[in-house]
Amino acid sequence: MAIGPALILLVATAYLPIAFALTLGFFHRTAFDPRMTWAGLANFSWLLHQPDLWAALWRSMVFTIGSVVFQIAFGLFFGLLLNKAILGRGLMRSLVILPYMLPTIVIGLVFNWILNPEFGVVNQILLQLSIVSRPAPFFGGLHTAMPSMILVTGWQYGSFAALLILARLQSINPRLYEAARTCGAGTWRCFWDVTLPNLRSTLLLIAFLRGIWMFNKFDLIWIITQGGPLKATETLPIYVYRIAFEDFNFGRASAACLLMFAILLAVSVVYFRYFSPTKEIEVGR
Amino acid sequence: MTYDFAKRWMRMVTLLVGMTFVAFPLYWMFMTALTPRSELFKPPYQLLRTSYSLQNIEELFSATQFLTFMTNSLIVAFGAVVINVIAATLAGYALSRFNFRFKNLFVASTLWTYMFPPILLVIPLYIIFSAIGFRNTYTGLILAHVSISLPLNIWIMWQYFQIVPVSLEEAAWTSGASRLRALWEVCLPSALPGIISTAIFAFALSWNDFSFAFILQTDTSMYTLPVGLATFVEQSAIHWGLIMASSLLVSIPTFGLVIFLQRYLMQGFGLGR
Repeated sequence: MAIGPALILLVATAYLPIAFALTLGFFHRTAFDPRMTWAGLANFSWLLHQPDLWAALWRSMVFTIGSVVFQIAFGLFFGLLLNKAILGRGLMRSLVILPYMLPTIVIGLVFNWILNPEFGVVNQILLQLSIVSRPAPFFGGLHTAMPSMILVTGWQYGSFAALLILARLQSINPRLYEAARTCGAGTWRCFWDVTLPNLRSTLLLIAFLRGIWMFNKFDLIWIITQGGPLKATETLPIYVYRIAFEDFNFGRASAACLLMFAILLAVSVVYFRYFSPTKEIEVGR
Repeated sequence: MTYDFAKRWMRMVTLLVGMTFVAFPLYWMFMTALTPRSELFKPPYQLLRTSYSLQNIEELFSATQFLTFMTNSLIVAFGAVVINVIAATLAGYALSRFNFRFKNLFVASTLWTYMFPPILLVIPLYIIFSAIGFRNTYTGLILAHVSISLPLNIWIMWQYFQIVPVSLEEAAWTSGASRLRALWEVCLPSALPGIISTAIFAFALSWNDFSFAFILQTDTSMYTLPVGLATFVEQSAIHWGLIMASSLLVSIPTFGLVIFLQRYLMQGFGLGR
């Protein structure tokens, strides 16, 4: 059967491990002791009593919502501007897509370098323009680390939003704009009454997908700050990593993963139930 | 007329400001990579440079393990591409041509795996691979990368085979071709764009992956490029010229890909206009 290889691979590398991880949350299991003993809800009750968990959950919310909002703003900005015929559009479109395709390690290293408090070029420019009086710490500051991180995700993933928004904008029937114009609508009215309702389902889809992915984001944060300074950027995935690979307590880490997964599941139920994404695409045509 | 003209200029200027924001970090990576070490710790820097040096890139190959990391990255990415293309093509073909039990469940589950936090997948993989000795091996990391890229690739190939009409194959069957021969000579050429996308996606995911390689490969000689590069920052004397030079080299496949996408795949997105 042709589906065999794929099925075997998926079962062995994805389904079984996921099933294993789902049950692991209910067992005591550490790296030092290969035995698994039944724990019941002990891992969960331990977790829920950790102030670090709640702090990480809060940071995850801030990070997810902040970066999704920033990415959509970025996407709308470039989507709307690049929708019209303009000189050098092809080149600019490639440039906007580029950050999304770059390896995360490159983005982490480049931003670490240009936002470096001592030798960073951004601080140099800010100082020369007298926008700041002394070098901004960016990733090194307790209050600046999270906003800086959100800025980087906007830069990296905003292009995903721009791409989807651009594709949707190009499929809006031009007659809708003609009709709006003949009824006396200006640019702003056209945007508000024609563009935005047509974009609604696209924007919701972007918010949903990017929300899930940002909530699960591990690599970028780890590369840039490793959750620091003083846990200022320690979101849930970083917290789980620490339990699993610094304390080597796999049972507790899996329990924390289950909590993350439960949150995502709740969000997707709300998304599919109340925003019925497929229906709206039909209406938009 | 003048109003329209002013509006167009406004748009152009806004766009250029935005583009500067996008391009500047990459421009600075490029500049730093070509700046000799002695000048890197002497700010203020000139934003425009006229003299370049390849000193950093030479040092990268002579004084670091960059080549080892690159070989590892290429082997793993190549393995992931081969497995993805074969498995996804066969599965996509089967899904579009045959009906079987649990088909819908299978298709839905391929997309579900995207909702699981990757960290949820890496913990059991770490335990299992430790037990069977797959950690710090190419096989282990290839399998881990396949687990994240295969689900979407099956989906892509399924979509592509739905576009290829069955009648084409039937014509081949009536002229005496076997099912396999018809798949090979009729179906595959029509599904080639899908196969190319599958290969690109598998390569990009494997080449870019940090998390899986970082957790599963703990032996320096088995590091892939992203993990190896991360260690450059941890060294006592951080040499940013070297780091930016390696970042630049790691980005080369991406630059190639974007140029390719611009010419080829954009039409499929309806963006070609």
